[in-house]
Amino acid sequence: MSQIYRKQLVFVLTAIVAIIMVMSYFFTYEGITPITNQIQTWALIIQLIAIGIGAISLIRVHYRTIQRRVPGRWFLSAWLLIFFPLLTLIGLVNLATGTMNPFYDWVFTNVYVQGGQTMYAITGFYIFSAAYRAFRARTWDAALLLIAGCIVMLTNAPIGEVIWSGFPVIGTWLLNYGQVPAMRTFLITAALGLIAFGFRALLGKEMGFYGGGME
Amino acid sequence: MSSGILGKITNIDRRILYWILFVVLAVPFISPIGLPVFVTPTSQAMYNSLNSLKKGDVVVLGINFGVSAWSECLPGSIACVKMVVRKEAKLIVFGMGTTDVAITWNEIMSKIPAFGAGTYKEGDDYAFFGFLPIQETTINLMATNFRQVFTKDTKGHLTDDIPMMKNFNGAKDCKLVLSSDTGDVGDYFIRYWQVPFKVAVGWIGIAMNASTGMTYIRSGNLVGLLSGVRGGAEMEKLIGEPGSATTNMDSISTSHLLVVIAVIIANVAYLATRRKA
Repeated sequence: MSQIYRKQLVFVLTAIVAIIMVMSYFFTYEGITPITNQIQTWALIIQLIAIGIGAISLIRVHYRTIQRRVPGRWFLSAWLLIFFPLLTLIGLVNLATGTMNPFYDWVFTNVYVQGGQTMYAITGFYIFSAAYRAFRARTWDAALLLIAGCIVMLTNAPIGEVIWSGFPVIGTWLLNYGQVPAMRTFLITAALGLIAFGFRALLGKEMGFYGGGME
Repeated sequence: MSSGILGKITNIDRRILYWILFVVLAVPFISPIGLPVFVTPTSQAMYNSLNSLKKGDVVVLGINFGVSAWSECLPGSIACVKMVVRKEAKLIVFGMGTTDVAITWNEIMSKIPAFGAGTYKEGDDYAFFGFLPIQETTINLMATNFRQVFTKDTKGHLTDDIPMMKNFNGAKDCKLVLSSDTGDVGDYFIRYWQVPFKVAVGWIGIAMNASTGMTYIRSGNLVGLLSGVRGGAEMEKLIGEPGSATTNMDSISTSHLLVVIAVIIANVAYLATRRKA
């Protein structure tokens, strides 16, 4: 009985949902819309539950890190375990009163916003260092890529046009015509691959989709 | 001797590179250059779409980027919302990319005087619905049944009670979608709003989105594309209100030029040492 629940029932449910969703997209039969809306609402609810489970999992992982005193990490986990419930509580108070708590606002504006932007900005330094070290014309292909990359960079920067008015012309051509066929090929093949994967999953040939381990 | 110098150039300490970049980025903020920004066709197309809006048209703004991408996506989003306000169109705002959608929306409103002055009113002119996860399913569901996804706005007003939402229940009631994101949300709007319902979709993305966005521009699925901070600066120029993107363009110029020069120097040194070897 448990095998039926673990295997066949999952297959059947997945197949039914997939067929309904595919039909609703490709056929204009209005009668199916309420069913698809309901399925999508369930998916939304499941996802929201997953966020809650994710929060519990996060607390457990960081609690273990503190318990084991993992060098260089445990105190960061401690920070998380202090601020996580604190901000959750303040958020719940906000929800009840419908007002923005000044402390909550302060933390977001002065810690979260600044931290987030700094993290993103730092990648610019890594990219610069990586471009200097790794962007080498080792082959003719690499040389072509390098030249195209430099032209597109100078197209994006106003100084490129000041140096030579041809940079934006060539750069725009590369963006409009040079890369579009390759990107279009990539998107279409990826979509075809996804369709093939979907069929394989429905036929039970992709076990990873069902959580794996089902023989 | 020369190979020693070339070797040093190719293996320069990364800390020196970081300091050079830091100085090159900082100088334009101390002494602005003010180089002109030319407008690309994709930004012009986005402006034209916004400019064709009529009073009362409904525009959907999807804020699907976090604070980390403010530097790239925020200026373009602000400039587009300014146009929506200027055209007296209605605005529906929500986010599915990151949970910090509320703080981003507050930042957009703080940069547009009409929100602070109360001339563009919540409920009558705009509605904010906050964050929901599971992007693709949510966008698909919203296309046909907006009320099933968002029953209330973030202040607890029932969607049915919000005056501007009375005649809105999905994609068919929408004139333009502005998808501001760092990932795939623009794709989902194209898939579930543009293709079945022919809703115009404009994309405000990070510079990296340009390659995907151009594909959709060429196929006619996107009406416009603002690519990164450059796109934001172009839109600021088009609406005649220079902002943070315009300020940042000088640093974009110096840093991009630095990267190109550095790559050329590194390659000259690399080719010279390889020839000797």
